[in-house]
Amino acid sequence: MEVELPGDFNLNSVRMISEELGDRRNLHIDLSHAHFVNSKAIIFMHKFMFGEKNGKIRLKNPPKLFYELLQTLGLHTTWNLDEIVEP
Amino acid sequence: MEAHLLLEARLPMLGSATDFTYKWCVNMGLERDDAARMALATDEVLTDILLHGYKNESGYIEIWFQYTFSEIEIAIQEKGEPFDPEKYRYDPEKAIKDHDFEGAALMTIRKMTDQFLFLNRGKDGKEFRLVKQFTSSHIKDMLPEHLDPEDLDEPEPDCDYLLTPATSEDAEDIAKLIYRSYSYTYSKEDLYFPKRIETAIKHEYKFGTIVRTESGGPAGYFAVIKSTDSMIGEVGEAVVSPNHRSRGLMKKMMNELIKMSNQRGLKGLFGMASTFHIISQKVNDKFGFKSTALILAKSPQKLYKGMTSETSEIVSVVMDFLPLTKLWKKPVILPEVYKDILSEVYAQFTKQNQTISSADPAASGTDQTDLGLTINYETQNVLITVKDYGKTFETSCLRLFRSIEELNLNAIYIDLPLNDHRINNAIKWLKEQEFIFSGLMPLFHHENDFMRMQKIMAETDFDKIKTYTDIAGKLKEIIKQEYNAIPKK
Repeated sequence: MEVELPGDFNLNSVRMISEELGDRRNLHIDLSHAHFVNSKAIIFMHKFMFGEKNGKIRLKNPPKLFYELLQTLGLHTTWNLDEIVEP
Repeated sequence: MEAHLLLEARLPMLGSATDFTYKWCVNMGLERDDAARMALATDEVLTDILLHGYKNESGYIEIWFQYTFSEIEIAIQEKGEPFDPEKYRYDPEKAIKDHDFEGAALMTIRKMTDQFLFLNRGKDGKEFRLVKQFTSSHIKDMLPEHLDPEDLDEPEPDCDYLLTPATSEDAEDIAKLIYRSYSYTYSKEDLYFPKRIETAIKHEYKFGTIVRTESGGPAGYFAVIKSTDSMIGEVGEAVVSPNHRSRGLMKKMMNELIKMSNQRGLKGLFGMASTFHIISQKVNDKFGFKSTALILAKSPQKLYKGMTSETSEIVSVVMDFLPLTKLWKKPVILPEVYKDILSEVYAQFTKQNQTISSADPAASGTDQTDLGLTINYETQNVLITVKDYGKTFETSCLRLFRSIEELNLNAIYIDLPLNDHRINNAIKWLKEQEFIFSGLMPLFHHENDFMRMQKIMAETDFDKIKTYTDIAGKLKEIIKQEYNAIPKK
């Protein structure tokens, strides 16, 4: 599934994506318009990738704060950013 | 400018609230990355309130955006179900192994802000305060080495001076002037940061005048800091370069400031003169200001360049006031216990109408207690403003005191409106809570007079408090007596 967020990746976006996602295991999110990705969005993506679904996520243009928050939550070494973030 | 949002506690409002937060922070001078951090912290608080405070119930959330010269503060208030965001500690190992992310929101908020406070005011609701300081260059890092403060000791030849209103383009010159005149010892640190001065002048939080020599060099600066909740201003920033002193520049600037204040419709000016020495108090007296209060433990220790006297640990100030309107009137209600001293304070203002205000005091009281809280993180004190005494004044105050217990405070000030007979009971109760008198705060909130009381947690040595005017001396004696009557722990 491909999503282009019109703003920040927050709880509202998490709920909307979750509703649409169904059984799909591949998720592409364009974050070009986001100033931040919040902790609920990080948790959602973490569970999607490392939970039962074992899904794959690709992020386009994540904001600087995404990397900062990932480090704050101690997930930066667990997430394979080379695969997740589009070059 | 300050802003206030009243939001319905529903998920779709999240994006609008954080978009506004980001734009407001950028507009008030925060770097874009810091503005995004504040927007993220705000989002985390709002999300927690929606999920844990209101759950599926309806309600409202209020957000107050506040600006000072050194920081941005966002206060978020709500009255949903009690929850304690500090209850859970985030553990990255649990997150990775068990997908247990408890405490992640709080961890994010703390990391994104310079200060985070959670104030639980019981039935009066919960309050979250997020603070971010401005990061900008200190003037010292922008100056070449030859502009050392010592270079200014030799007086410059007399010349014609030009007074003009200070604009945001003068910010760097103002900072240079302060640094070269006072080195590191000026009490208002913000004046060492040109960007902070620029933002404050641009948004009209302050206005002032700058004196330049014929060659354009800055020789003096004097500014009024506008109050955010009343049409008054503080004459709070003044400097004349040492090599241009004793030429009447201060007088010229003060007269210009009074003219500018009148043009802007201000009803009064006040000065908070240090009691570490009497120089500022003397200057205020010379310009017709009258002493109305003595405020203890107002700011931490300051050193003053060129003063030989010993330093005090905590600086107290005398509040001096200059009304700019003849229509200012003495209020109907003066509390019994301080009637004499307050009458004496009012009697100093002989050019004002001495008749009492005609406002009906009974009409001003409501049942709902309404308290405002201003936290001054830098000077470690808080000001509680009583907007309405209401029926639950004592319990609301107690809840508020409890919520700020963890702050390492030097003083708590409380401003009581002089428009309600309930002030007598309020004073009686506050004295039981170890509050003591401070004095009159004229036209201090919404152009109304307030009486200030203060609770002092820092050791105060009254021998080090110097007062100049008779009335300031009387205020000091009353306050000293009350301070000494409090049993020491």
